[in-house]
Amino acid sequence: MTITLTINGTRRTVDIDPGEKLLDLLRREGVMGVKVGCGSGDCGACAVLVDGRAVNSCLLYAAKADGAEVVTIEGLERDGALHPVQEAFLDEGGIQCGYCTPGMVISAVDLLSRNRDPSEEEIRLALSGNLCRCTGYTKQIQAVRKAAERMRGGGRDD
Amino acid sequence: MLAERGKAARAVGGGIDVHLFRVQEASALVDLTSIDLAYVRADGGLAIGATTTFTEILESSEGAAYLGGILVEVLEQVASPLQRNQGTIGGTIGSAHPWSDVIPLLLVLDAELTVYDGQERQTPLARYLSDRSTGARPLIVEIRLPAASRGDGCAFEAFTTTGFDVAILNCAAYAVLDGGRCEIARVAVGGTPALAGRLFAVEEMLVDAPLDEAAIERAAEKTAEAIDARDDRRATADYRRTLARVGVTRCLRRIAQQGGIG
Repeated sequence: MTITLTINGTRRTVDIDPGEKLLDLLRREGVMGVKVGCGSGDCGACAVLVDGRAVNSCLLYAAKADGAEVVTIEGLERDGALHPVQEAFLDEGGIQCGYCTPGMVISAVDLLSRNRDPSEEEIRLALSGNLCRCTGYTKQIQAVRKAAERMRGGGRDD
Repeated sequence: MLAERGKAARAVGGGIDVHLFRVQEASALVDLTSIDLAYVRADGGLAIGATTTFTEILESSEGAAYLGGILVEVLEQVASPLQRNQGTIGGTIGSAHPWSDVIPLLLVLDAELTVYDGQERQTPLARYLSDRSTGARPLIVEIRLPAASRGDGCAFEAFTTTGFDVAILNCAAYAVLDGGRCEIARVAVGGTPALAGRLFAVEEMLVDAPLDEAAIERAAEKTAEAIDARDDRRATADYRRTLARVGVTRCLRRIAQQGGIG
């Protein structure tokens, strides 16, 4: 079957297998920032924004993304500048091996698009679907907090 | 297509369970989210469209306001935010997993479903679940929760190994109190590891009596006896009976406290 969707701002019409996952479609289309993890919705490494909401792309049929706007980690930068969440992850050392980072950042972007001043509890809950096997999560939580502060302070607020 | 193809066609809400529990005989998937069934409406009670996601319910003022915020309290515990953005209330009922946190809650809230199987009709959730065990699979259109009554309270308790894991056992209770006396009581326990069901023997013990500590203790003991507790890889039957006793005690105490006699 054929679907049309927007991936990181570019409209694409693609042939898919009806049982194909969005994760597999994205990687087949060269969007490799979307990571393959557990394949069962437990780890969050494959998180992407679909019409502004973070979902596990390993659990979503690509067919359901017909007409949708999909944003991955590659689509967050604007005019060569990283998203404030990406900047904050770098500044706070919220990255070790980096495998969970795209999914973590996507979950954080979803949170901050709806809640400009989340509490630590709200940040923890928002990241609870993203597993990191390197860190103790503290630095990622600090990074989201810093990104929220910067976004409230002006500049980019999406 | 669903009627023509029978078991070979599957209705898909968010699609999570169809993905995770791949059904070999399915050769066609029918996406229900393309029809407009994503809504939460307060109309005395609450009407929730079948394809409404957990997040949409959590973010709706109508859902948050219902019966002291019990829907928010429970749905916030379901899976992860990523899955709550995708999973639908109709899908979770249709999957009828024995570990579902949603089903025991909806059972004690006396939820009624609008279903479609050639024609639209109303059916209590409990009836839908028992019909389902005989192979009936009507489409779920809407979930209706009754209007709150004066003096009512509801509580839920789930026991999990991690915040993200499915419940080893869960329970929900609802009661209407009048001056501390229990007029209506509904208790459901799930994950025993069987699918959640109401415990009518426990409910009968509670009705027409004060919801005091002695009554709660008796109800909790009866719950432990009444559930169909079995061993599985998550827990033993004995452990589940202990959890049921503790869970029902906590739920009923919380309701009693809400009712002002705790």
